[in-house]
Amino acid sequence: MWRSFAEHLHFVATADDAGYEELRRTLDQLDFALGTHANRLFYLATPPAAYEAIVKAIGEHRLRGETGWARIVVEKPFGHDRSSALELNEVVHTVFREDEVFRIDHYLGKETVQNILVMRFSNGIFEPIWNRQYVDHVQITVAETIGVEERAGYYEQAGAMRDIVQNHLLQLLALVSMEPPAAFDDKAVRDEKVKVLRALRRMTGEDLAMNAVRGQYTRGFIEGVPVPGYREEPGVAPDSRTETYVALKVWVDNWRWEGIPFYVRTGKRLPKHSTEIAIQFRVAPHQLFSREALAGLEPNALVLRIQPDEGISLRFGAKVPVQGIRIRAVNMDFDYGASFMVDAPDAYETLILDALRGDATLFTRHDEVDQQWTFVDPIISGWAQSPQGLALYEAGTWGPTEADALIERDGRKWRKA
Amino acid sequence: MAEGVVIDTSFWGARAEGVAALERELARLRRVQSAHARELVRPIARASVLNLIVYADREEHARRAARSIADLALRHPSRAIVVLADRRGREAAEKRIEMHCQLPIPDGARQVCYEQILVRASGDVDDRLASAVIPLLVPDLPVFLWWTGTPPLGSRSFADLLRLTDRLIVDSADFARPELTLPIIARISEDARGRFGLTDLNWTRLTPWRQIATSFFDVPAWRAFLDGITGLRVGFAVDADGRDIHPSQALLFVGWLASRLGWRPLETLAPSEAGGLLFAIARRDGARIMVRVRPRFERGLDEGDISGIRVQATAAREQAEFVVKRQPSPRHQTATVVLNRERRWERTMPLPSPAIVELIGEELSILGSDRTYEEALDALVELA
Repeated sequence: MWRSFAEHLHFVATADDAGYEELRRTLDQLDFALGTHANRLFYLATPPAAYEAIVKAIGEHRLRGETGWARIVVEKPFGHDRSSALELNEVVHTVFREDEVFRIDHYLGKETVQNILVMRFSNGIFEPIWNRQYVDHVQITVAETIGVEERAGYYEQAGAMRDIVQNHLLQLLALVSMEPPAAFDDKAVRDEKVKVLRALRRMTGEDLAMNAVRGQYTRGFIEGVPVPGYREEPGVAPDSRTETYVALKVWVDNWRWEGIPFYVRTGKRLPKHSTEIAIQFRVAPHQLFSREALAGLEPNALVLRIQPDEGISLRFGAKVPVQGIRIRAVNMDFDYGASFMVDAPDAYETLILDALRGDATLFTRHDEVDQQWTFVDPIISGWAQSPQGLALYEAGTWGPTEADALIERDGRKWRKA
Repeated sequence: MAEGVVIDTSFWGARAEGVAALERELARLRRVQSAHARELVRPIARASVLNLIVYADREEHARRAARSIADLALRHPSRAIVVLADRRGREAAEKRIEMHCQLPIPDGARQVCYEQILVRASGDVDDRLASAVIPLLVPDLPVFLWWTGTPPLGSRSFADLLRLTDRLIVDSADFARPELTLPIIARISEDARGRFGLTDLNWTRLTPWRQIATSFFDVPAWRAFLDGITGLRVGFAVDADGRDIHPSQALLFVGWLASRLGWRPLETLAPSEAGGLLFAIARRDGARIMVRVRPRFERGLDEGDISGIRVQATAAREQAEFVVKRQPSPRHQTATVVLNRERRWERTMPLPSPAIVELIGEELSILGSDRTYEEALDALVELA
């Protein structure tokens, strides 16, 4: 199979306008030879700085075919703030209509992320309790063990806020908090996401100082191996104030979630590679059992594990099999791998196929990107005004103590992810 | 790997490079188990109700612990992380995994899988050991830390692991010098309050002794003697040449009585026999009590196990002795009450000698702290 596929791979290098002309000639020849009707998908796997020039060149050199469809896939981050995203959007729209633009966020291609919608909206038992009446709070964790690797040039400018929060994290938040869409299609699903993103309370002033923590890793150990601090990484300024960790307490100001905090955190060089969403439910209204019996009980939680070890678990209290009553929190586990016995397709496989088919449900629409920046921008600019607020944490720990304080103030604690 | 130290992969499983590879291997093994179970039309459960970290600094201890956990798989299916920190050899922290699946019911009606991971560390890895263990924990499940040997106060890896722990399990029977180590345990217990529970397997071994000692005073006619105790003797087993002296269990018993009855220490005296202990203690009403802890050679008893207790008491000009003696073969105990030098009551009852696996099994079913134990420990530290 690979051999026949590989025969249709062609490589054209473009350093200047002549290169784009050559690309056009190659595409025309292939259309003629293979009868592909000039259906074209452009995938920009380039640094964001190059997007504008490439899109313009696609337009100027008439790389869109005359007859078939043309689509463009753009990697995140789309812009570096709201106004640059709008500008980039305008440039892209000079060549491509919005329904031809596929802004990729590979998290949305993950099986377990798609399963959030399936779980919520194909089952009868979850949605009735998916609201402020039953939910105590929600925690979303995107933890990486890797450091900045070879991406220091990009990361120094982006930081965790632009790299993860603006896209992956807010998408997860949107999927878990959105209202049920009327249909499973690109318009209905994305309309609902935009609605909930619009309901995110903007963080400024006092709220920002209290409920947003940024951190940067110092040297430590990952899986028993010594690793350097962020400022010691190649390409990073020795006095860099770029955040490699973010924790936020986010409010969704709508009917469903009024008063329910969403604690979200992401970081590099955390002890464990793990992405998960945990919905923690309220405790039982009246406790029958003694304090000793309840020592092992934790509130009910539904945990959606995005990676690794994809699955879902429900935590509840059960009687320990001994004389008398002792209660222990146990997990009812659903494990993707063991249940379906097949490897889930890679997120990019899913998304590229969707883009070829023209299904944009799992891609971000311009108004989503716009809302994401609208939420993130005031935090970034607030932080820029108070540069002293960067907390340090040792690589291999779960972030700065300030992040613990953020959640412990509310009598809650971060999950042991 | 340290030179000359070969890991037995048939026991510990194949080697995995890093946590991600290890989790992949576990997932693969689970899948194989699942597929196999489907063929046989048997349900299979990936059951995990707790994380159990076992710390050992000798391979034989690690193996023994691993076998105990295997025996417990049905009752406490767990993710067991056995940390074998061998201080010899050069620096390395290696993880080896093995997944065990037992069919403990003969007709094979049910299978329970549990996961066993070996983290083998060589060299001085005190600063980084925890960073290899944390990513292996199953999220959300309670974490038990079973520390074999004497817990090292001031060790970073011990402190790091404690931060993750819901319950620390130690065995003071293994403490070489309990008079030094028990106060350390008491300090840990004090730090632990509200953060994690602490227990001692030697305390669990005391349960039948505490039961019989209290049952004497359930009898209304003998209740009054409880406030009139004048002397206490606790014997503990030593080997024939009396080299290994492990009085922790006996001391915990004394600490327990002292904390329950409000006794206060007066002075520590020189005992009449080597390896013994002699205390003068003040009763709640101020009267002086002599407490002797004596090593006894008894065939068939494990070193350190209590061999017998004798409580002397007076009440309303009557004298009483409450005596419990352990009999090695078959394992049972006789309880005798002597009133005014006349034997008034005697009973013989079985006294099981639980194996480590049963003690651990018992402790894994408890979360949170044990106030009675903590108070006994505090009282004992004040005495000794």
